[in-house]
Amino acid sequence: MALSNSSVLWGSGARSLHWLMAILIVVLGIVGLYMAGLPNSPDKIRIYAIHKSVGLTVLALAILRLLWRLGNRRPTDLPMPAWQAWSAHAVHGLLYVLMFALPLSGWLYNSASGYPLQWFWTVQLPSLTGGADPALKPIAHAIHEWGFYVLGALVIAHAGAALRHHFVDRDETLLRMLPGLRRFRAEPPATTSSSLPNIEKHPSATATIPENKP
Amino acid sequence: MMRLALLLPLAVSAGAANAKDWTVDPAASSLGFSGMYQGEKFSGKFSRFDAAISLDTADLAKAKFDVSIDVTSANTGNGDYDAQIKAPEFFDFAKFPKARFVTTVFRDGDEGLVADGTLTIRNKSHAVTLKLTFKPAGDGATLDVETTLKRLDFDVGTGDWADTSLIANEVPVTAHLALKPKPGG
Repeated sequence: MALSNSSVLWGSGARSLHWLMAILIVVLGIVGLYMAGLPNSPDKIRIYAIHKSVGLTVLALAILRLLWRLGNRRPTDLPMPAWQAWSAHAVHGLLYVLMFALPLSGWLYNSASGYPLQWFWTVQLPSLTGGADPALKPIAHAIHEWGFYVLGALVIAHAGAALRHHFVDRDETLLRMLPGLRRFRAEPPATTSSSLPNIEKHPSATATIPENKP
Repeated sequence: MMRLALLLPLAVSAGAANAKDWTVDPAASSLGFSGMYQGEKFSGKFSRFDAAISLDTADLAKAKFDVSIDVTSANTGNGDYDAQIKAPEFFDFAKFPKARFVTTVFRDGDEGLVADGTLTIRNKSHAVTLKLTFKPAGDGATLDVETTLKRLDFDVGTGDWADTSLIANEVPVTAHLALKPKPGG
């Protein structure tokens, strides 16, 4: 599989980033919901330290992913109603925004709380506020918490739409993001080949698609 | 005989001067500590302490410090840290509101002036050596004190909190005392 995207397929670079970040974000959400209610203890601090380290990893991956996305053409949309394409791209754009907003608001909350920040017990990261900021602390927390709920809703919409494409519309939208789909690119299976020529005829097929840019 | 009688008042006044007692000006004095938490330094202070200081650098045999620290006046500037250090696993304010330091011997050696003594926190006593910098200023003086304690010697942070990779064992302590001559001292 090519590292870069083609006109019909996501390359292995984009797929790896998509799924790696998806797993990390789901883990972060579950751990984040669980950890907040724990009584203060070294174990709680360790769980927070892991949450923060993984969150910083997601932030680094989000930067890499944005650069990758800007430097790679996006595969053309498969045929679908315009409202679906439009809303899919809107959700993608918001997901990109939240991939940055969640770790950054977490970092801000940590800084405003006056806590140190370490990446996996190794690299020390600076405070964004230069010390505790009690006035900013609840605001940063609210952004982090509500940003998470919005992200959760968007992830459900995004995954739900992907499943709808796969099981209802029976197109390759999900398949072309799944790992290990080599055959599709070179030689589509007979059962799905009918939809492929349509891609080339689709009105948006030749246009470069500007969405998802910040 | 006559000569001795003349010298006597001089000797008495010199002896009185050697046992120099000082009072601490609380407004100009501070007692601070710092620690490493998750690889980052934090610092705090004890805003209330009483120090009985007798010190004349020319007569160290008579020198003595007796310092009582109101542990409950500890303040790190971080509400979460302050809530934690009052807990039973740390200073246990309810049970051990006071700490005390009493000197045993003063020495003026290669490292400068030092005072050996016993520090008691949470009813646990350990020998501690303070590095002293004493500077007379007018009729008063300033006294700067430095030492590094090991928190686990005093059970500060017990159980799971004893993990020194999370909170370092070493706790540097510094004090700056503004001294005034004790009336009648």
